[in-house]
Amino acid sequence: MIQRIEEISPLRTLFQALALFLLVSSSAAVAAPPRRDARAASAAPSREALGERMYREGLLPSGEPMQALVNGDVPVSGTAFTCVSCHLRSGFGSWEGGIPTLAISGARLFQPRFVKFPNLSPEERKRLKFRTPPVRPAYTDETLARALRSGLDPAGRTLRQVMPRYDLAEEDMATLIHYLRTLSTEAPPGVDARTIHLATVITAEVSREDQQAMLVPMNNYVTRHNQIPTGFHNRMDRGVGGIDPGGSYRHLSLSVWRLKGSPDSWPRQLEAYLAKEPVFALLGGLSYQDWKPIHAFCESHRLPCLFPITDFPVVSDSDWYTQYFSKGYYQEGQAAARFLRGLTSRGQVQRVLQVVHDGAEGRALAAGFQETWQELGQGEARQIRLVKGETLNRGLLESLLQLETFTTVMLWTGAGAFPALDGLADRPGRPELVFMSSRQLGPKLYSLPERARAYTYLTYPYRDPAYEPKVSKLADSLLTGIEKGNPETRISTRTYSMIQVFRQALLDMDRNIHRENLLDRISLQGDQSLPDFFRLSFGPGQRYASKGCFIMQLASGPSPNLIQKSDWVIH
Amino acid sequence: MDTQNRTIQLRDFGMNHRTRTIPALVFSLGALSATGLAAQTPAPYTRSTESYSVPDVTLVDQDGMGVSLKAMLESREPVIVDFIFGTCTTICPVLSAGYANLQLKRPPGAAPLHLVSISIDPEHDTPKVMRDYLKRYRSRPGWQFLTGRREDIDKVMRAFNAYIPNKMAHYPLTFIRVPRTGKWTRIFGLMSSTEFVAECRKEGIL
Repeated sequence: MIQRIEEISPLRTLFQALALFLLVSSSAAVAAPPRRDARAASAAPSREALGERMYREGLLPSGEPMQALVNGDVPVSGTAFTCVSCHLRSGFGSWEGGIPTLAISGARLFQPRFVKFPNLSPEERKRLKFRTPPVRPAYTDETLARALRSGLDPAGRTLRQVMPRYDLAEEDMATLIHYLRTLSTEAPPGVDARTIHLATVITAEVSREDQQAMLVPMNNYVTRHNQIPTGFHNRMDRGVGGIDPGGSYRHLSLSVWRLKGSPDSWPRQLEAYLAKEPVFALLGGLSYQDWKPIHAFCESHRLPCLFPITDFPVVSDSDWYTQYFSKGYYQEGQAAARFLRGLTSRGQVQRVLQVVHDGAEGRALAAGFQETWQELGQGEARQIRLVKGETLNRGLLESLLQLETFTTVMLWTGAGAFPALDGLADRPGRPELVFMSSRQLGPKLYSLPERARAYTYLTYPYRDPAYEPKVSKLADSLLTGIEKGNPETRISTRTYSMIQVFRQALLDMDRNIHRENLLDRISLQGDQSLPDFFRLSFGPGQRYASKGCFIMQLASGPSPNLIQKSDWVIH
Repeated sequence: MDTQNRTIQLRDFGMNHRTRTIPALVFSLGALSATGLAAQTPAPYTRSTESYSVPDVTLVDQDGMGVSLKAMLESREPVIVDFIFGTCTTICPVLSAGYANLQLKRPPGAAPLHLVSISIDPEHDTPKVMRDYLKRYRSRPGWQFLTGRREDIDKVMRAFNAYIPNKMAHYPLTFIRVPRTGKWTRIFGLMSSTEFVAECRKEGIL
């Protein structure tokens, strides 16, 4: 029996990873274009790159951290925080804790600053009926260097004490100022005076019904948005005060980029789409497959991608341009690990077996569990991967349980394993706990064997279904034209949530329509209670809005409820 | 009185994030007063003496260990508490730089001083995020960063009269506890290093 399954030992995984690495690196070497000039490759980074590193990472061109004094006399190193921490990547600043951090994009710094209508171009300002004097003249390189060093602005005012005073050598100062001159000054692709062009990516295997579940609400939104007459919108804004009379309003256009064939060919297809039609951002998107090629494309083009509907996002601490709902299946595995650790008393050792269905879901669940389990200092879990199409029957499970005495089993398989799971009830010395994924089980979740419900925990990454209808009802207004025929997929409700966040970000960007600013404005949004996920929350650099996953148990009876066994977020 | 008014205004701003009119007005007022205040240095802070009852909750520190907050704060050692989060833009970096600097300024062999930062973004601030944060500030032993269940964090914020419904609308607070009296000194605003040291000396804890 055991021969038919593949056992993944840590050592073997390491070898596989090594082999894969060699394969990837050798193919990359083949694929890379020949270097024309060896010196160019080893040349020092450009001045822009060095300035960007100062701004974003707080490192001097020498590689040493920048040094500053904040709040009068508190020394701070660039490794702790730097320009980007408050002014954000786009340079359009933030408002946090009652302290405004002003915009320092190239256009703002090197023009006079006005409190009223700060976003107007000089030509537009001339047309204003009531003109107010600027609160400071435009910076020059000299006055900006003085402000960064001593906090004195060209109007002779002192900047707030929370703005660090930087101790920079001439050359380093010049490099930073050179970067600031260009910061968010390029005209963003895909935006003209009337329209912001957007696209959404759909891969070939997605069913027509699922495509419609996303496209109908998106098209409804775009249609409604474009029905707002521009002039009316401008007048509205002027009435509020503080918003530019020139108006930030643009029409939206939405294209659908359909990807065919294998994922290897997606980057090529995406390049062709983008070359033909430059877009400002990707909105939503839908694939049953790994999102990685699209993620990598967006990262390389600095193209924002907002809330693609995928179960297989890229899990990264540092990638920047794709904003996901959650980490997908990976996050469920993570929650299982944290919950199990919480149940484990000090000194107790859990011996965990992960049985994994061959397929992306199982692999992501197992990886989420394993990586988190190790991070929690709980060591290695034994992992068994079933071959494709194989069902975990009673005999097979029994033979696995013979391998050693397991205290907990992660059953990352489908409902086919239910008879084996049920059989555990009779087994003397059975593992105390079993975990399964509610999403991997789908609607079959509710037919979990009665006897197994006492020892089976379920990862459930959405709001408790008892409370869901109230919240999801809100989404109906945008869904006109489709029935929520398959609410299990949560495609239309997630699309609705994406639109809510995007709409707010569009308003918050105002006239500063820049790709980085779109993501910066989202990062400053407060917590959201929207359909599906119990809570969405944001912050600079945070790229997975839902941080939670409930652990549930199933009540007894033929139409059982789910019983919450954990908080939304488990530490 | 003045402090209270400011507090309320800041809270309002955070809660009305979705409505356009009020933030726009508050913003214009804020921007005007900001320009008026800009020339004043250093930024003023206010202090008051308070009695707080620390809730009996278990939080999680940067090493993933459970910590009884009441036992930790109401100990025989002097304690300083602030509320921060890992991806905060303006206030927390300044508060944390203050902590890091205070640790550096303590003379060798000085009596123990316990610095505690409590996360107001417990969803994102996992032990790993908190460890990385402390590392960036080159923290020394004696500075703990705590996260926990959202309900528990809310309880703690309420106990310190520091509750905020939206993390982006929080404000700078530092609390110093002197074991001798069991009272808390509440400091609203950001302090310079000299001021922070002076406040600690005033309480006899440095």
